[in-house]
Amino acid sequence: MDRLLASTGQYLFHIFGLMAVGGALALVFSRNAIHSVVGFLLAMLAIAGCYLTLSAEFLAVAQLLIYAGGIVVLFLFVVMLVEMTKYKEKGLFQVQAPVAVAVVVAGAAAILAVFWRTWFGPDAQQPLTLSPSLAQGLDVAHQNAQAVSRGLFAQYLLPFEILSVILLVALVGAVVLAKKERV
Amino acid sequence: MASMNSVLFISFLLFSVGVAGVLIRRNVLIILMCVELMLNAANLNLVAFARHSGTVAGQAFALLVMGLAAAEVAIGLALVVALYRKKDTIQVDQINLLKG
Repeated sequence: MDRLLASTGQYLFHIFGLMAVGGALALVFSRNAIHSVVGFLLAMLAIAGCYLTLSAEFLAVAQLLIYAGGIVVLFLFVVMLVEMTKYKEKGLFQVQAPVAVAVVVAGAAAILAVFWRTWFGPDAQQPLTLSPSLAQGLDVAHQNAQAVSRGLFAQYLLPFEILSVILLVALVGAVVLAKKERV
Repeated sequence: MASMNSVLFISFLLFSVGVAGVLIRRNVLIILMCVELMLNAANLNLVAFARHSGTVAGQAFALLVMGLAAAEVAIGLALVVALYRKKDTIQVDQINLLKG
């Protein structure tokens, strides 16, 4: 049992990652918009799990709060606000879908070629490691939140403040856009 | 521990599914969700490289990207609601006022 748990922990990232990809596929290919939102929720939860296995605990909790708690609920509200049953009989995909799929496949093949070279190619690189000894700056499992906050409020204070201004602008803009127009 | 290549590969898969969704779906809400998916794939890369380099910069910037994504969703959904009021549709191929 212990050995099973240990070997499962080794592949925990892959399990969460494949769950995320499955949720993404459900998001793109389901016919009902509510099912799409549920697939999106699954992908976000699985990505939070991926963050946990990459020892970004604070980011995992933030992902749960912001995405699973906030953004998914917003999407659900708008899906229920907008009546979509009217368009059920129309096609799901755009007219140019075959061309778009061909473009995506071509781009994916290009990136896959890079992956193939780094994995199996004649000049395969030594893969980058994620060894714990390298992650001392993050101080895994002890004070990840402290480390992130020190980075955020000391080193990268200016981007943080700019982000707060952007959030304010987005708040005002969303209210103005969604307000009923005065005639 | 997962290797760097597998993290990058998962994030690549998520990103290409997101691109495919943006290009082939005609529902604006699904397109917005696919944009979020692409941002998350980029975040996964940032976290993986932060883990690799042992610095906290990647995680801090992933947090900033999350805030930016929240702002983007708020604006995008307000636009969708305004569009639905005006045009009574959220199918992108029926929103063609600028088409010559």
